[in-house]
Amino acid sequence: MTPGRALPVPGPGETDGQDTPEAPWHRVHPVSPLVRGWIAVVAIAFVYGQNTLSSFFGEEEPNPGPDFISRTPLMVSLLVGAGILLLILLGFFGTWWFTKYQITERHVNVNTGMVFRQQRQARIDRVQSIDIAQPLVARIFGLAELRFDVADSGSAAMNLAFVKLSEAHQLRNEILARAAGLKAPAPQAPPLPAQPDAVPVTGQTPDPAAPQEAALEAPAPGYASASASLAASERVVAVVPTGRLIGSILLRPSTILMVLGIIGLGIAMSTIEGFAPFYLLPAFLGMAGALWNNLNTGYNFRAATSADGLRLSYGLLDTRHQTVPPGRVQAIKVTAPFFWRPLGWYRVAVNVAGIGGGAANDAEQRSVLLPVGSYEDVLAVLSVVLPAPGVAAPRDFFAAAINGSGTEGGFVVSPPRVRPLSPLAHKRQGYALTDTALVARNGALHRTIAIVPHARTQGLTLSQGPLARRFGVVDLSLATIAGPVVPLVHQLDVASGRELFLEQADRAAAARRQTDSNHWLGDA
Amino acid sequence: MRQEPIDPAGIQWTRVSPSYAKVRMVGWAIGALITLLVLSVPLVLVLTGVWEGFPLWLAIAAPAVVVAVEVIRLVLIPRQVAAIGYAEREDDLLVRHGLMFQKVLVVPYGRMQFVDVAVGPIDRMLGLCKVKLHTAAADATAEIPGLPVAEGTRLREQLAARGESRLAGL
Repeated sequence: MTPGRALPVPGPGETDGQDTPEAPWHRVHPVSPLVRGWIAVVAIAFVYGQNTLSSFFGEEEPNPGPDFISRTPLMVSLLVGAGILLLILLGFFGTWWFTKYQITERHVNVNTGMVFRQQRQARIDRVQSIDIAQPLVARIFGLAELRFDVADSGSAAMNLAFVKLSEAHQLRNEILARAAGLKAPAPQAPPLPAQPDAVPVTGQTPDPAAPQEAALEAPAPGYASASASLAASERVVAVVPTGRLIGSILLRPSTILMVLGIIGLGIAMSTIEGFAPFYLLPAFLGMAGALWNNLNTGYNFRAATSADGLRLSYGLLDTRHQTVPPGRVQAIKVTAPFFWRPLGWYRVAVNVAGIGGGAANDAEQRSVLLPVGSYEDVLAVLSVVLPAPGVAAPRDFFAAAINGSGTEGGFVVSPPRVRPLSPLAHKRQGYALTDTALVARNGALHRTIAIVPHARTQGLTLSQGPLARRFGVVDLSLATIAGPVVPLVHQLDVASGRELFLEQADRAAAARRQTDSNHWLGDA
Repeated sequence: MRQEPIDPAGIQWTRVSPSYAKVRMVGWAIGALITLLVLSVPLVLVLTGVWEGFPLWLAIAAPAVVVAVEVIRLVLIPRQVAAIGYAEREDDLLVRHGLMFQKVLVVPYGRMQFVDVAVGPIDRMLGLCKVKLHTAAADATAEIPGLPVAEGTRLREQLAARGESRLAGL
């Protein structure tokens, strides 16, 4: 009962975006309910098995029931067990039977639910990206879950769990190709060379954030092979070796604090009589959980370029494949934590539309583009998510941005008079403008830069408190959608801050007019 | 309207209705009254002899400080209201507010997701309303309180029209 691989292919006359009524429904992989519900099965088996066994072989019954139970023969007990098993299997079968998906010309439909039926529909041209996730148990079975991000919704709008991994990859490529507006050739016809300007026939305003232009940039010889070329055009730009990942986790302030805490506790335990460190256990478990999370999401991290954006894959036990289309990136942050600096390590995170919502932990891990990497890795990742840096020598510019200070690289920094307020940072904190983005630089020990493309500026705020007024400085913050990047230009001279404020607003407006009428990949 | 040092040059600010101060004062009165009542409890207890252990000076000082702070806040309200201003430019809306902590915000029309017009009970009595322009970013939400209803409606229509003509993606 493997679900068919072939996507519904529309007839020759059905290119005007009507749903093909005969588009076949597929079922997910039959073991998916088990993958989802295995904990329940194990729990029930454990409880039932223990009760039954103890009532037969145990010396004393934990729950001495009425006579008739303890006298029931083994056969009945086994039958009851078989009955429960049958019910579970029936439930699983029902869940599986009623979970169906359909991919039509314009929509992805997923129907779930046995008693409470749910029908979800997502428009293919609104599909922003598709993540492939593999929880541990799914991995054992070679299955994967598809998560759709839809433009209108804050979180993953739709899940399709579970299908075979190879099939997941294929579905993903095919749906993205379809989202890009590549048309399927007629069933019998040989693969036609697709027109490079095959615009989706949807009649809606092209969304600059949609990956369609990206896919169109790719050589697309035909629909059927378009998915193949999408899959094949991946080029790995950055990998995180396990050693570096472990090193980076060890050099986090939180890890160092934790180690110090454990040492301190050890000393306390050996000197103070009757000191019970168990009370601190939850705190340590929490920290260990955070460490584990870092290890799990950074393990085997690989960033690759592809036509539809930056493809990330990572995970120790639960693996994820994620795509970040550059058009959805609203702001980028490069961080150089104090302890990483001697080793030349950096971290890259982004604000992406749609990721801000959802579970906090999930959002956090999904917004990391590079958990730890060298400067070369940072440049490689930046070149994908910021295709047009807008400076003549990006290498030198970003080096000045991340590690430089003063006015090198065209930075405007705080006036020297704020030295009493920020003794270390005043030489570093500031901003620089490129043709396409504003780069805000902050921090002397824990160094960060935030990059906001002009066209993505959501708003600007100029603020000044009483102390800042005394020193004649203002803070300029750039509004961006929710995420880890909070772009802020700290303590600018009032006059230049005021000037930048209106200039930047005009620049944003100009950039918006350009990019929104053109492709976001920036031929303009 | 007075130009503050952080105000961008060449912007003609439109002030909000001075009667918005009354709306703020009603809110102030309710808040101040509750704080004062809560902090006067020890004083009443001490004076009635229920709680003699409580130091009298503290029982008096707490409400006295509150009264002083609240009076200063009340005096500041008209000036705070006077400091609220907005300006429409070709591509964006500017909003400024604050005396001690001054803020100027610019929000592009093209980034607008939706516009709200909110009217509270006191607002309604005074014929005022509040216009809120929402973008995808939480901190780029331009809020202009204390607008006369006609002006609020005009602004809403204007913002909606301009937002549509300059519509941008996220």
